[in-house]
Amino acid sequence: MADSLKNKNTPEEKLQVSRRGFLKTGAAAAAMGVLGAIKAPSKVAEAAVSNYEYITPKKGQWSKLRPVPNYGGASVSYAEHNDQWLGTSEIVGTVKKFKEKEMGFALVAQGLLGPKAQAGFYTIGIRHPLSDALGWAISPIFGENIVDGQPKPEKLPIPDPEQMSMHIKDVAYYLRADEVGIGKMPEYGYYSDKMNPPMMGIIGGMVPRGTPLQDVPFTEKMPYVIVVAVEQHLETYLASTGYDGISDSQSFRCYHATANISIIMAKYIRELGYHARAHHFGNYGAVMAPCLIAAGMGELTRTGDCVAHPRMGFRNKVAAITTDLPLVPDKPIDFGMADFCRVCNKCSDNCPSQAITRDRDMVEYNGYLRWNSDFKKCAQFRASNDQGVSCGVCIKVCPWSSKESSWFHEAGIWIGSKGETASSLLKGIDDMFGYGTEIVDKYKWWLEWPELYKFEY
Amino acid sequence: MSTVLIFLAGILFLAGILFIKPRVKKDVMWKNVLVWALYVVGSAVLWMGISFVYINATVGHAKATSTAIFLFGGIAVVIAVILARLLGFIGTKKVKDNESLSA
Repeated sequence: MADSLKNKNTPEEKLQVSRRGFLKTGAAAAAMGVLGAIKAPSKVAEAAVSNYEYITPKKGQWSKLRPVPNYGGASVSYAEHNDQWLGTSEIVGTVKKFKEKEMGFALVAQGLLGPKAQAGFYTIGIRHPLSDALGWAISPIFGENIVDGQPKPEKLPIPDPEQMSMHIKDVAYYLRADEVGIGKMPEYGYYSDKMNPPMMGIIGGMVPRGTPLQDVPFTEKMPYVIVVAVEQHLETYLASTGYDGISDSQSFRCYHATANISIIMAKYIRELGYHARAHHFGNYGAVMAPCLIAAGMGELTRTGDCVAHPRMGFRNKVAAITTDLPLVPDKPIDFGMADFCRVCNKCSDNCPSQAITRDRDMVEYNGYLRWNSDFKKCAQFRASNDQGVSCGVCIKVCPWSSKESSWFHEAGIWIGSKGETASSLLKGIDDMFGYGTEIVDKYKWWLEWPELYKFEY
Repeated sequence: MSTVLIFLAGILFLAGILFIKPRVKKDVMWKNVLVWALYVVGSAVLWMGISFVYINATVGHAKATSTAIFLFGGIAVVIAVILARLLGFIGTKKVKDNESLSA
């Protein structure tokens, strides 16, 4: 009985607290309460500021609006970005930065590729009324004050780099980009010097012919590049010869779209408190081909420096934003373009200027391997074409560029990304069905004024 | 339209199975397998062809449309003839006539 009483009393003994202990606990609780009360408002305020209300997407997702990247059926693997490789482009030496005035159209503008090409180039943007209108719409947004600027001094709270990368891709899709990628910016991806007057001034007819081009050193160095692409209009290409009056407008339409997307995105990033510069047709500081490859948006093609995307081919135009916004870059991609181009030759067979090589293998050029296509011949033909304005025949005929979205084209692209033998098969099928080289008259919606395409030289 | 085509393909595929099933009672297994394999391959070729021709004609790829009609249509017809022969729809009457003559 006594034992049972003792046992019953034991728990009560355990719960007993001395008066001293009780007072100590009370004091500690009161202190915590006071501290909590003091801290609480600031925490609430902080939560109000940093609550950007971004619902975390699934890890590894491409973006919220496009959960998986759309490669149009191609079999895609990831490639390296290091000292030896930029994607599937092998770096075999030192890749030197170019001056902007050493590029094809700049050589044309300086008269280095003949008087006809020079005269044609000074009127290229204004010979067809539609490309004139599109160029006019780009001209207000090519100034340095538009493409660049100071970031807001106060950085806004943003999600972690992975989520921010998804968000940035969604911003691009929201702004009507057809594709977007984020890359680690290659050091050689910039021009060493920009040219003054800028290209846009010449194409827009704002610069007198023969004005000397000055070098302006370009020293920007940002860790990341965001590349946005807008597709050129497929049906229009189906109805076009590739070098008629609409050719220039096909490019300008996408230049205009990507220019707007890039300046808005750059400004948005600056509003978040980070540096960002837009690079678009009206004002490039970066060279687009390495940026595209670094951002996982394609591989080099037989045309030389044109980069083809697995879904769109190179039937697109791009702009870029270089930034120090913390992001997670995408990896360069490999979808077998090199193998395909090695056996296809459709662009070189149809190039009106014979600028695209028929060599089987790539050669070294400025420290990397690429096909030995002649960008000078290409620029010369595009500038001096007086049967139309500019040229895009290679885009029109490329099996990767000339298709609408359908199950059999996706199947074809999958075959084409499976090595040389499969590529030969795809090229044979492409020729058998007449893709690329056909002209589908029912889509010829634009007006032609052949008399406007002629020019004095 | 593509939804209608897929529905039509499914319905006709099932109808074809019901039509063929009572006629596939061959003495050897490999003939059964051959008949069903030809039926599946033939159906796939036919409906892939119809889809291919429909999409290409809609977009306006004239050469692709005409080539596909001959290519897919030709393969489908060849398979259909082999299948019809195996199932006894064609070629059997002649044999019976011979039998009656010899008898």
